Amino acid sequence: MAKFATLTQDQTRSIKLLGLPLVYALLLLAVPLGAIVLFSFWTQDFMTVDTTFTTANYREIYDSPIYGLLLQRSLMVSGIVTAVTVLLAYPVAYFISFHVHPSKKSIWLFLITIPFWTSYLIRVFLWKVILGYNGVINSGLLQLGIIDEPLTFILYNVNAVIITLAHAFAPFAILPIFVVLEKIDRSLLEASQDLGESKFSTFLRVTLPLSMPGVVGAVLIVFIPTIGDYVTPELMGGAGGKLIANMIQTQFLQLNNAPLGAALAIVAMLCVTAISLIFVFLNRKYLRGRT
Amino acid sequence: MTDLIKLRGVDKYYGDYHALRDINLTIRAGEFFSLLGPSGCGKTTLLRVIAGFEGVSGGTVMISDKDMADVPPNQRPTNMVFQSYAIFPHLSVGENVAFGLRKSGLNKADKASAVEEALSMVGLAGYGKRAAHALSGGQRQRVALARALILKPKVLLLDEPLSALDKKMREHMQVELIRLQRAVGITFILVTHDQEEALVMSDRIAVMFAGEIGQLDDPETLYRRPNSRRVAEFIGKMNFLPGRVTATGDTITLDIAGFGVTDVPAVQAPEGATLGEAAIGIRPETLAILFDGEKASRHEAAAVVDEVVYYGDMTYYDVRVNNVPEPLTIAMKNMIGRPVLDVGAQTRIAWDERAIVVF
Amino acid sequence: MKLRVYAIAYLIFLYAPIILLPIFAFNDATIIAFPLSGFTTEWFAELTQNRALHAAVQNSLIIAVCTAVFATILGLCAARAGAMSDFPGKKGITGFIMLPLVLPEIIVAVALLVILRQVLGLSLGNWTIIMAHVLICTPFSIAILNGAFGALDPSMEEAALDLGESRWSAFRLVTLPLVMPGIISSMLISFTISLDEFIIAFFLTGSNPTMPVYIWGLLRFPKSLPVIMALGTILVALSVILLTIAEIFRRRGVRRAGGTDTGGFL
Repeated sequence: MAKFATLTQDQTRSIKLLGLPLVYALLLLAVPLGAIVLFSFWTQDFMTVDTTFTTANYREIYDSPIYGLLLQRSLMVSGIVTAVTVLLAYPVAYFISFHVHPSKKSIWLFLITIPFWTSYLIRVFLWKVILGYNGVINSGLLQLGIIDEPLTFILYNVNAVIITLAHAFAPFAILPIFVVLEKIDRSLLEASQDLGESKFSTFLRVTLPLSMPGVVGAVLIVFIPTIGDYVTPELMGGAGGKLIANMIQTQFLQLNNAPLGAALAIVAMLCVTAISLIFVFLNRKYLRGRT
Repeated sequence: MTDLIKLRGVDKYYGDYHALRDINLTIRAGEFFSLLGPSGCGKTTLLRVIAGFEGVSGGTVMISDKDMADVPPNQRPTNMVFQSYAIFPHLSVGENVAFGLRKSGLNKADKASAVEEALSMVGLAGYGKRAAHALSGGQRQRVALARALILKPKVLLLDEPLSALDKKMREHMQVELIRLQRAVGITFILVTHDQEEALVMSDRIAVMFAGEIGQLDDPETLYRRPNSRRVAEFIGKMNFLPGRVTATGDTITLDIAGFGVTDVPAVQAPEGATLGEAAIGIRPETLAILFDGEKASRHEAAAVVDEVVYYGDMTYYDVRVNNVPEPLTIAMKNMIGRPVLDVGAQTRIAWDERAIVVF
Repeated sequence: MKLRVYAIAYLIFLYAPIILLPIFAFNDATIIAFPLSGFTTEWFAELTQNRALHAAVQNSLIIAVCTAVFATILGLCAARAGAMSDFPGKKGITGFIMLPLVLPEIIVAVALLVILRQVLGLSLGNWTIIMAHVLICTPFSIAILNGAFGALDPSMEEAALDLGESRWSAFRLVTLPLVMPGIISSMLISFTISLDEFIIAFFLTGSNPTMPVYIWGLLRFPKSLPVIMALGTILVALSVILLTIAEIFRRRGVRRAGGTDTGGFL
């Protein structure tokens, strides 16, 4: 064997093993992603695709107010959903990590993940049943005499989309925060209290900063996929609650304008990525400032 | 004894990290050999090189005069007891022990009796049906031993086998391992960071530092004549005094700070010792406090007690001697009628030039 | 304890929609609204006679089984490589393979649609959905199997090698049985994800819809809603059963490999 062998046997085997999933991901992810980038610079000419390089699609997205409006609304909805989901999830993750007996933690996590694995479509539809004109909330409130007429602001608008998405992504937010909270050395908290901090200030000065990586993970894992959901806005959003994903879907499946759809998908991706990176960057800076 | 394992110029790199540096080592058939050193010194890597789990970057590994370069671990005449014991949790004790016999061609009955024999050898007769995951640490270790020894390897490799056990169990297993090694006559190579364990169990010990063998000797020589300060510091405690070599030859004349001039035989100094500055090493138990009326048989010096640490059977004193820069540690056995001195007490100490090691 | 009350309220929020399912599935009315009118099993009976639904379910089952097998094979490769030595670029490659976990599904869907239809000119069918589902299920499989391989003492396989087994037989006799619970858990999770996946399937489905795509079609007809409730009830019950089995196996896997449970699928 060479004196300075660059790779050990174990490393070679590891590379070979990773090769199969890598090739699969390259063929089914990298190549298709490259294809839509390429497509976004082409144009749809009735039934055929005109393959001359052009930025026409991007110009159209920039010029027509509808796309900007949808994108803005999408980012806002995703942002609100993320904030609501993570804020609601944090206390639950904290509760399970700090106040649930270790032997019962698994069962709590299991209970939280179960709804996530049950038919997404039907789950979204059920919110319609809950929030609808004759829905659970309205009929309940009517019977109790709290309202005289069914509430209409809870269905077929952005509010309904936000509630439904926040529900759908709940476990995604809880798990990353929980995992990080579990790793916090409990003696750190005792040390903080020993040094004169109250329980609450210990939380603010020790637990919260240490759990920030989990919060960041939760934010990203909720924020990014919600942009791509068209089911919830379609079912819950009504006319004023449509999002960018609906437009992408329409371009591809109904208007048969794949190049414009591809450009929209790429613009949406870039926005999400940019916002995520800014968020991660700000968070790093903020955390470094503290330490 | 014949030579069983020969390592010649073995080098091992992990990237830029030089884990083993030009190791030359011969291990004899039937001996209990230990690789001793601090963590990260390369002792486990060396063991894994012998087992075949790590390839070498240079040099050769020979077992029974056969080059092992292209021999995978499953075809080497070595078997290993892993630090974690690696008892297969999905198999019973008996199935664990019989694991290596799969391709042996033995029939079921022969296998069963071989397993039972191996188990009784390690004191676990009748445990064959038990579930492996229900065993205690000491029992797991015995299963690991039985599982390796049933294959009658030429060499049994033991990677820190006692480190996971508590102190009592460890001492008990040390004795058991010696007994077992004598009974089977197989070469044992033990990796340990515990100098006491190595001294108690081994025929010979190789002390390793930073990928090199610092010294290879039998336990007594290693303890009494360490060839370097780092070996002396790693094995037991040693006091170091500044001194000078003023004459060389069959006897070496030393001028030791605070102790004065004395002659020692050349074996107590490194080969080819030259005139000039030298470090003088003295073990704490070769010094003694002189209590009232006691006289030193060789030499004595005045001292002041600086620190007293009481250990029950022993008392360790740190004493200051005029012209010696650092306090000297002295280990005294506690005996009936012998008082424990207080800090600040004026006393005399005895020393013996035969216990001196020159570095 | 305030936090406990909050956590329980949160659980109720999570389960609110699901609890409604069986209520309306057995409700004797075509409108999905309160008050309830009476008990019936009519909607379940209707399910058994719906040919189109049966075909969709059959499609979905084929897709889900294939996805479970292929995603788990890819996951096994990646997780085993993950437990072995690092090499330069390994983190980047693993990160890339895990990417579909955070990628919006619509991006995966349109990218695959473009390459399959427009570039390669292939017709869509079950196999296109399988390919996409394998892509999005592999990261889950890797996450589960990483847990199983991570809890495995690396000395185990070395011990088998040391006792005379070859690399392959050491894997087969020692590693495979020890990670088997993880494999089963990974297959069940991938199966569940695939069975339920709509966003991608809607783009890539051929002439024969999958079950979620078929349900999507039904959602537009108010008349068919009670039937969907009945179907949903069965699906939820099935998911709960499968997930419970998956969880039991996952825990057993961690325990068998000698590790301690750190909880959760992710």
